[in-house]
Amino acid sequence: MKTLVTLVTLYITAAPAATLFLGAYPNSIMVFDEAKGQIIDRIPLSTGLPTSMRLSIDRKQIYVTTNDHSGIEVVDVATRKVINHFVLNTPTKRYRFNGGVTDPQGHVFYTVTTEMTKLDDRYEIGKLKYTVIDLAQQKIVKAVEIAHEDENANAGFYGRAGFEVSPDGKYLYQFRDKVVILNTDDFKVVDRIDLSKPDFPGMENVGFGGLLDSISEPGQHISLFNSADPIVHNRVFGIARFDLSTRRVNFTPIGPAPAGMAGLQVAPDKKHAYTVIANGAVANKRCEFWAFDLGTNRITQTAEVPCRSRFSFGMAGDGKKLYFYGAGFEIDVYDAATLKHERTWDLNNDVTGAGMIVVN
Amino acid sequence: MKHLRPLNQKGSRIAGQLRPPEEDVVALQNPPQPAPRPHIPMGCSLSFSPGWEVDMAGGTAGLCQPVERDIYDCYVTCFWPAQVPDHLNNSPDWATKCAAATKDWRNLDLVFP
Repeated sequence: MKTLVTLVTLYITAAPAATLFLGAYPNSIMVFDEAKGQIIDRIPLSTGLPTSMRLSIDRKQIYVTTNDHSGIEVVDVATRKVINHFVLNTPTKRYRFNGGVTDPQGHVFYTVTTEMTKLDDRYEIGKLKYTVIDLAQQKIVKAVEIAHEDENANAGFYGRAGFEVSPDGKYLYQFRDKVVILNTDDFKVVDRIDLSKPDFPGMENVGFGGLLDSISEPGQHISLFNSADPIVHNRVFGIARFDLSTRRVNFTPIGPAPAGMAGLQVAPDKKHAYTVIANGAVANKRCEFWAFDLGTNRITQTAEVPCRSRFSFGMAGDGKKLYFYGAGFEIDVYDAATLKHERTWDLNNDVTGAGMIVVN
Repeated sequence: MKHLRPLNQKGSRIAGQLRPPEEDVVALQNPPQPAPRPHIPMGCSLSFSPGWEVDMAGGTAGLCQPVERDIYDCYVTCFWPAQVPDHLNNSPDWATKCAAATKDWRNLDLVFP
């Protein structure tokens, strides 16, 4: 009886293992069970190779962009089936886009596109545009040219810079070299905040909004940002908390900014968070885990970690494991408490830059 | 330039160009500047940053290990079309039989331009 009670208690208190969704070559999403440590399903994508994934606010759907014909596929998390898919390319038009976010209702998809029109003798390359894609009509319903001063920041990887949308759907946040807040109606800039997302050489900066951050709550964005004063340009990193509804930001500086810094992975308890930093380049590049206490905004633990030339950084559903993956077929698993390497999962399939979605 | 005074109009124009437009406080620290990169002569590839042969510093330490890990990013992002078929325009099926490039690279399709 005592054993039975113990088992029941363990079952109740143990956090259920999460399911990982990973973009896979050449054209599928792998479904990986954390508890079993193996692939349990594979979702084929008829529109091609996944380049980015984004979990909906209610965590019931995953929006996937694909490369072959500029496609979008919507995956139902519960059934692991594709419930909507379409492509934007036509015989005379091609689009490049990568990453974006849906409105809170999941009706439209905001992104940045480049349109290429096939003419008799050449392709005409259009300007970068903020674009609204209607998921029901399966087509672009609005495209607004990006202001000249914002073109460069949106050009790399066709607008991979992370997007977030406010809970009321009125504002679109773009986190890049600045935080730019846009009106979703006309894409006019409402505000610019001088906080920049840290770069990380070799980091596969997955788009679709999160930029590898684990978004803890709808309506909030918590991440690491760099700030520089205008006089001596001293770069300082810190934790910024955005209230997406009120456009209020609270930035707490922590210390001198390292050369590179990954996104912030916030544990489900919202007290602990982790990142990977890098100093030096190529042969001299050294990486470290940094663990944060979000209550006091202090670094609580650091540990050197061998970093790959190119990788992505993620976290388990219960926040107890940290993942290195990408540019290959393996996931390196680290214990979040000790920051020590635990094991390596062999996926036997290369992971695309679409990154990882964790669903509990 | 405090000890040199222009004697003619041309000299005045040069001094005007060198003179800062207005007195300003000089910052003690400049914004971070990228480290100077080595000059790598153009060879068979149009771009070497990063590539399979050399990394941005001209060495191999910054490359993916093993190099097959990097094949697909070059392929998909159209970054390195000289050595790798490009996914977007010409060879969308190049890697359909090869899920893990490091293990299955022999299954990559042959492309004849």
